[in-house]
Amino acid sequence: MNTEQINAKNVSTKHISVKRYLPDSSAEPYWQQYELPVDDSTSLLDALNHIKEQLDSTLSYRWSCRMAICGSCGVMVNGIPKLGCKTFLRDYEGEIRIEPLSHFPVQRDLVVDMEIFLEHLAAVKPYLIDDNPVKAFDPQTPEPYQQSPEQLARYKQFANCINCGLCYSACPQFGLNPEFLGPAALTLAHRYNLDSRDHGKKQRMAELNRHEGVWSCTFVGFCSKVCPKHVDPAAAVNQGKVEAAKHTLIALFKG
Amino acid sequence: MDKSSSQRLPPLKRNWWLKHRFFKLYMLREATVLPLVFFTLCLIAGMVALLQGAESWQGWIAFMGSPIVLVLNLLALAASLFHAATFFVLFPRVMPLRIAGHSLPDQAIVAGQWAGVVAVALLFFWLFGRA
Ligand code: SF4
Ligand code: FES
Repeated sequence: MNTEQINAKNVSTKHISVKRYLPDSSAEPYWQQYELPVDDSTSLLDALNHIKEQLDSTLSYRWSCRMAICGSCGVMVNGIPKLGCKTFLRDYEGEIRIEPLSHFPVQRDLVVDMEIFLEHLAAVKPYLIDDNPVKAFDPQTPEPYQQSPEQLARYKQFANCINCGLCYSACPQFGLNPEFLGPAALTLAHRYNLDSRDHGKKQRMAELNRHEGVWSCTFVGFCSKVCPKHVDPAAAVNQGKVEAAKHTLIALFKG
Repeated sequence: MDKSSSQRLPPLKRNWWLKHRFFKLYMLREATVLPLVFFTLCLIAGMVALLQGAESWQGWIAFMGSPIVLVLNLLALAASLFHAATFFVLFPRVMPLRIAGHSLPDQAIVAGQWAGVVAVALLFFWLFGRA
């Protein structure tokens, strides 16, 4: 690579404003500006790392994989939930405002308390439930569950969730009522309900069919727009409504 | 950690939907119901007028022909088409159709729904266009 090619990477200076919250020194959050060099390949996470290493070691934020797989680097960028490692500063002209994810309590700077999200995930029993296996499990000759590609295709898209919580920050219904199970948890429930190896639908339906389950969703649809993994949680939740309605009807006829 | 350990935030303010273009569009979709309510009231009034006799029927016809009512009902038509357009796109995501294990492409389902609208409209014009 010659120098011209390196120069062609468009090095420039950008300002980013970060919403700071340091509960030990001040009860109120405040905005802080940073000025940093960026080029075409600078992600928002790179920028935060640069700030932390070169400019201000007091800044707190989460990250781990820097490749859109661990789901820990979610922040609001100009009011829209994004993964820091999948967001590039080259795509932003003018002001860049970074805030912690919406609808979650802030612990410090960009770090939020995800406890409620984890509670909701756990509530839908997100694991294979097989109470009546065809054959008893024998550790001597373990038999794998078999699944055809068609059976996998039914739920595969919904299994791509990385639990980043961006959809919760995009969902006004979760903002209005944090007891709403929310897009990712309901999607996870749907993912297991669609799995041919699972027989736990009945148990999950009780959770899904509550007011705080699928019925709190008004199909705003922003969750699917912001999902970095194209899981389409809005679709899953609303397919869950169809299932919940069927479930109620069937229960009615069974008496 | 037990349940009480996680904090809950105060709920959003009533004007949450003003924050973002996407939310405004959503509210617009929800608001299409308003002109449709007006249209439905017009229809009910028409049926009542029909029961009451020729005179009030004529009155209803005149009412329906007044410019303001015409504009409102055109608005209702536009609103229902807008709602249909957004709803039709959502439909394949809510009820994905599978034929012999293969899912039908979304565009096909959306096109099918519009074909249904055209069919109903043609039937309507055939029935009432001759009168
Ligand atoms: S559904 Fe998408 S946005 Fe929501 S937690 Fe999973 S990956 Fe993140
Ligand atoms: S750092 Fe893992 S998703 Fe961004």
